[in-house]
Amino acid sequence: MTMKMRKTPRFPKWLFLVLLGMTCAAATGTAVWYDLTYNSGRLVYPMDSYAFQPMDIPMIIVVAADVLFFLHLAFLLVRGIIAQREHVAKTGRTRRLSPKFGFLGFLGLFGFAGFWSYGALGDLTPFVFFTFFGFFGFFFEGKMSNILMDERYKENAVRAELKAYRVGFGTVFALLILAGQSGRFKADLVAPVLVAGIALTVALTMFLSEYLLYRYDHDDTAALEEGE
Amino acid sequence: MEGFTCELKRYRQAKGLTQGQLAELVGVRRETIMRLEKAQYNPSLKLAVDISRAVGAAIEEIFVFE
Repeated sequence: MTMKMRKTPRFPKWLFLVLLGMTCAAATGTAVWYDLTYNSGRLVYPMDSYAFQPMDIPMIIVVAADVLFFLHLAFLLVRGIIAQREHVAKTGRTRRLSPKFGFLGFLGLFGFAGFWSYGALGDLTPFVFFTFFGFFGFFFEGKMSNILMDERYKENAVRAELKAYRVGFGTVFALLILAGQSGRFKADLVAPVLVAGIALTVALTMFLSEYLLYRYDHDDTAALEEGE
Repeated sequence: MEGFTCELKRYRQAKGLTQGQLAELVGVRRETIMRLEKAQYNPSLKLAVDISRAVGAAIEEIFVFE
């Protein structure tokens, strides 16, 4: 007897993750509202010492769910990275990546929060987010996704990286001189100029190494194809 | 590249191979073969040997340095 299997449409994994993330965010918002309304904001405002109360349970559950969600995301990320490395080692091809990951570069805009946080709280940490501008390089890495890494590709990769590092080191050198000068006018500027500047330089180096590799690999390809 | 000419296209066509087929035989991308034929890329010794075996011609006949 044969059984007919009906194909059910597959629910995309990324959509599931987005929905799960939205659920976690909504649950966190609700738990914060609950804590502020019915629990005097015990778990929202900073406290010196903690003693458990049954009214804390909703917030504890939601925070535990959030932690589990982020752990799951971290697990997926690590598993993806390992799978990509195995793919590269096994096939000799570049990693499989969608150019759409380039949009992650917009995360670098969070770096501008550093101007507020440094002024208001003296905190420089948000400037580090400028590093994410380097993810714009994924636009170009994605265009060269899953291609054979032959000797010309490897040569171009080394060439592009060297050029990117040279630009990066030059920028850091100029930045150090600038930071030294800024100390003459206002010493407070040295730290933010250095942190923001170095974060931007790291981003520039990440982006340039992918962009230049793409340029070296693709320049004049159209002209060459005509001659075939 | 100055002083470098490449006769690969002639030998490849004589052997009845397309650029893609030759690329697959020697383990490189078609773009690399295209650049080799235009003398815009200087191959490693290993690639030169592989190409010479694939098209059945001596290295110095395919890659000519003046």
